[in-house]
Amino acid sequence: MITVNTRILKAEFEYFTPNTIQEALHLLDQYGSDANVIAGGTDLLVQMKNEVISPSHLINIMKISEMSFIKAEEGWLRIGAATKWHEVVEFCAKDRKYTALYEASCSLGKVQVRNMGTIGGNLCTASPAADSAPALLVFNSQVKLTSAQGERIINLEDFFKGVNLTGMAPNELMTEIQIPSIHNGMGSAFMKITRVGADISKISCAVALERQGDICASCKIAMGAVASVPMRIDQANRIVIGKKVDASLVEEMGKKVSEEINPITDIRSTAEYRRKTAAILLKDVFWKAWHRAGEDR
Amino acid sequence: MKTYLIEIKLNGEWQKAEVTAKETLLEVLRNKLGATEVKNGCGKGDCGSCAVIFNGKAVNSCLTLALQANGKEVTTLKGIGTEDRPHPLQKSFVQHGAIQCGFCTAGMIVSAKALLDRNSKPSRDVIREAISGNLCRCTGYKKIINAIQGGALESKL
Ligand SMILES: Cc1cc2nc3c(=O)[nH]c(=O)nc-3n(C[C@H](O)[C@H](O)[C@H](O)COP(=O)(O)OP(=O)(O)OC[C@H]3O[C@@H](n4cnc5c(N)ncnc54)[C@H](O)[C@@H]3O)c2cc1C
Ligand code: FES
Ligand code: FES
Repeated sequence: MITVNTRILKAEFEYFTPNTIQEALHLLDQYGSDANVIAGGTDLLVQMKNEVISPSHLINIMKISEMSFIKAEEGWLRIGAATKWHEVVEFCAKDRKYTALYEASCSLGKVQVRNMGTIGGNLCTASPAADSAPALLVFNSQVKLTSAQGERIINLEDFFKGVNLTGMAPNELMTEIQIPSIHNGMGSAFMKITRVGADISKISCAVALERQGDICASCKIAMGAVASVPMRIDQANRIVIGKKVDASLVEEMGKKVSEEINPITDIRSTAEYRRKTAAILLKDVFWKAWHRAGEDR
Repeated sequence: MKTYLIEIKLNGEWQKAEVTAKETLLEVLRNKLGATEVKNGCGKGDCGSCAVIFNGKAVNSCLTLALQANGKEVTTLKGIGTEDRPHPLQKSFVQHGAIQCGFCTAGMIVSAKALLDRNSKPSRDVIREAISGNLCRCTGYKKIINAIQGGALESKL
């Protein structure tokens, strides 16, 4: 076994601090696959210390003020990719609409990590356990990818391609996350299971639903750490849609979720554990969202 | 090797250091600016022994590049209080027996100070959350939480 020294960064690299998106895109165009963007560095520097990657150029995007913002306008909540987690937490605590995102943000890392790490960094690392992913997936979020050649907007669902793999080209920058507005009658929740208090998820789940009295008008489910990418559950949720919700229906949905996911055994859990827990976690998260949707706002 | 001259406002005083891109803030604080009160633990964000207050927020200096700190304010344990003029939090840690080997203490007090700057009367749960990124292998945390509560009361007097 090769041991690495996580106290130092072994290889030197060139470092750039652009002040605008344009400058960053120019640098990315020039250095492309030899370069990495660095935002909070809480994933990237750990990967570099572990010698998983060793980019020869780092482009720090934290001086680009146009990449750090949270704006609610015209049917969308827009969050700049370089917005730090503590800012997302503070916004969601006041806004109180995007409950699943709030719960995911609060559970992400520890204080120090939320003070440095960014929402874009969490998505771009593309860990199957990225806590923001299930919450953003159930809200049908999309991301804006920008390069010197132009920009494109893709559904978050299509962004993840595998463990640490995304659909982003080497010269692209994620500039923005866009979440459709929440309307009355919607409720959402996020929960994760960890070994100890503040930790990476063994399994995570988010639900966003619309309720009309006892009827579930719509229901979106997403899970983390149950497949090679954060995953939308597209079969099990149909069990409750358009139906009068009761305990046995939700029980059935839990069973179906266990079948639909595709977990592996790794250092955090076994596949069997994940399948069994998925059913229970889904039920808990569903009921939380359901009760919230029933509350008057 | 390309070097950069950076300036950091360390505990209220501007200090210069010559660094290369791969040096972390932690390495520069300890090896070039004499701030050995900042401890070098895991190196990957897990233990919090390297915590400093960076622009008003607690962060891990092991996961911050020195270049990212250029032109910024950094407060370490010694900026909070010294042996001659200890901060109420530091006195409270001693009084409550919240220190055993002491390796985690600098980071704990930094996290606690960042908390008290925002919330002068935190509940035990809020304190727990604020030090969730700081591991202590000796004390079992109870005395640390007591000490932070005690320090909060004293700070207000
Ligand atoms: C102790 C610890 C605990 C953690 N706990 C959790 C946890 O509980 N849950 C969780 O989900 N994560 C956790 N993380 C992981 C990490 O903190 C988060 O994923 C964080 O959001 C990463 O953001 P960052 O800004 O630090 O990313 P960086 O490390 O700066 O970047 C991550 C990757 O994304 C790329 N990138 C960043 N921004 C952009 C952009 N705008 N456009 C294109 N590429 C970009 C970088 O090139 C890099 O490859 C933890 C990390 C640590 C060290
Ligand atoms: S040394 Fe920085 S968190 Fe452990
Ligand atoms: S006192 Fe020894 S690690 Fe906390």
